[in-house]
Amino acid sequence: MAWATASSLAATPLWPTPAGVAEALVAALRDGSLPRALGTSVLRLAVGYALALAGGVALGLALGRSVLVKDLAGPLVLGLSAVPSICWLPLSILWFGLSEAAIQVVVVLGALLPIAVATESAVRQVPPLWVRAARTMGASGLGLLYGVIVPAALPGIVAGAKLGFTFALRSLMAGELLFVSGGLGQLLETGRDLGDPALVLAVVVTIVALGRMLELALFRRLERLVARRWGTDRP
Amino acid sequence: MSSITNTPARTGRAGASATLAGVSFAFEAGRMAIADASLHVEAGELVCLVGPSGSGKSTILSLLAGLLAPVRGQVLEDGVPVRGPSPSRAVVFQEAALFPWLSLRANVEYPLSLSGVGRRERAARATELLRTVHLARFAASYPHELSGGMRQRGAIARALATDPKVLLMDEPFAALDAQTREILQGEVEQIFLATGKTIVFVTHNVREAVRLGDRVVLMGTRPGRILRTVAIAIERPRAPNDERVHAYVAELSAGIRAEVEKIAREEADDAWVAPRGGVRVDPAFGVGDGI
Repeated sequence: MAWATASSLAATPLWPTPAGVAEALVAALRDGSLPRALGTSVLRLAVGYALALAGGVALGLALGRSVLVKDLAGPLVLGLSAVPSICWLPLSILWFGLSEAAIQVVVVLGALLPIAVATESAVRQVPPLWVRAARTMGASGLGLLYGVIVPAALPGIVAGAKLGFTFALRSLMAGELLFVSGGLGQLLETGRDLGDPALVLAVVVTIVALGRMLELALFRRLERLVARRWGTDRP
Repeated sequence: MSSITNTPARTGRAGASATLAGVSFAFEAGRMAIADASLHVEAGELVCLVGPSGSGKSTILSLLAGLLAPVRGQVLEDGVPVRGPSPSRAVVFQEAALFPWLSLRANVEYPLSLSGVGRRERAARATELLRTVHLARFAASYPHELSGGMRQRGAIARALATDPKVLLMDEPFAALDAQTREILQGEVEQIFLATGKTIVFVTHNVREAVRLGDRVVLMGTRPGRILRTVAIAIERPRAPNDERVHAYVAELSAGIRAEVEKIAREEADDAWVAPRGGVRVDPAFGVGDGI
C-alpha cells in the first residue's frame, strides 16, 4: 500500500508502481527471458551448492576431528571466509575464462566456507560422553565418525547447510551480475541497460521467491525432523 | 588367577576378574588423582566403590574401562593387561549416554552392529534385553521421550548387549529420585544374580553401596586412594530395608565423614587466615562514628 501510494505520488518511471512491476513480470515470463534466466540460475545453483555441501561438510569434519588439519588449514579457512566470494571472480575468469567453471568457483567458495565453519563447530560441540560411550562399545576411526560424530552433529550441520544455501544464492547473483552469461543476475543488468526499473524489480521479486521456495523445500522438513528426533525442540 | 578359589556358587560363569595392581594416575603432571591403588575384583563379584567427591572413584572406573591409561601400575582383566576400551568391559554412565538420534531399540542394537552381529540376531537380542529391563513396550521410543529411570534402564540394556564380562557402573542412579533408585538397585541385583557378571559399581551413596555390594571399597581423597574394604555379609537377594544394612552404613559413613572433615579442615586452613569474627571498624573511614 505504502509502495503504491508513494510511487503514484512520485509519478516517475524510475519509481515503478506495483502494477508496473507485475506487468513487467508477466511480460518477461511471456517472452521467455525470465524462465530461461531462471532455469540457468537454478541449474548453476544446484551444481554449485551440491559441490559446496559435499566439500564443506568434509572439510568441517576434518577441521573438527583432526588437530593436524585444524593447525594447517584452520587459520586459512577462517581468513578466507571473511572474503566475499565475489572477490574471486576476476581470478576465476583469468583461470577458467568466461566459462561455467569460472562462475561455479564463486558459488562454491561462497557456500563451502560457511558450511565448513558451521560443521566444525557442530563437531566440537558433540558431548564427549557420547564419544566415550561409543568407544567403550568398540567404536573407533571412521565407524565412530559416521556412527556417532556425524549424527550427533547433524543439527548443527543442517543449520550450516541452510546458511550455506543463502550464501550460494547471493554469490551466484553477484557473479551473474558481473559476468555476461545468462541467469537472473544478468537479467537484472539487462533491466538496467534498458532503463527499465520495473523489470529490475520483477527480477528481484523472482529471486526472493526462488530463495524462499527452495529454502522451504530443502530445509523446512529436514529441520523439523531433526528437531523432533534429537529432542532439541523441547526445553 | 585365583578366580575359582574363594568365590561363591555363581563363580565366573560370565564374569571376568578385574584387577588394579599398584595403579597411579594423574590428569596433570605432579597432581596425583589416584595414588598406588590396588584392588582385585573376583570374577562374578559385585564390588561398590564409595567415597567423597574427588576420591577418584570415577577415575578408577575409567581406568578399568580402558578409557584412561595408568601412569604407573597395571590394569588387568582376567590377568591380561588392559590396552584400551573393549566390549568385554561395558560402562553405564552417570547421565544417560543413549544416543538421542536412535530409538531405544536401535541404541541397544548399536554395540551389536559394531561387533558385526547380523540384523536378525540383533533384533532378537535387543527384544530380549529390553524385556529384561522392562522396556519392551518402549522399543520404538526415542530417549528424550523416556523418563530418567527408563533411560538408565535402556543404558543398562545397551551395556549388556555385547554380553560383557565386566559391567562398570559410574553413579548410574545419582540423578534419579529415591523410589526409582531403589527399584533399579533391585533390578541390578537381579541382573547380577541371573548373569553372574562381574560388576564394579561407583556411588557416593553409602546405603546404595551396602545394598548392592559383596564388598564395599571406601576411598579417600588427596590423593585419591583406597582406604579399606568392607565385606557385606548379607545373603542375596537382599531386602532394601534389611536391618543389618544400617550397621554397615553407620560404619562406612563414619569413615567417609572423617575424610570429608579432613578436607574441610584443609580448606579451612586457608579460609581462617581471613578476618576473624565480628565487625571490623576501620578508624580511617570513621565508620561507626556518631551512632
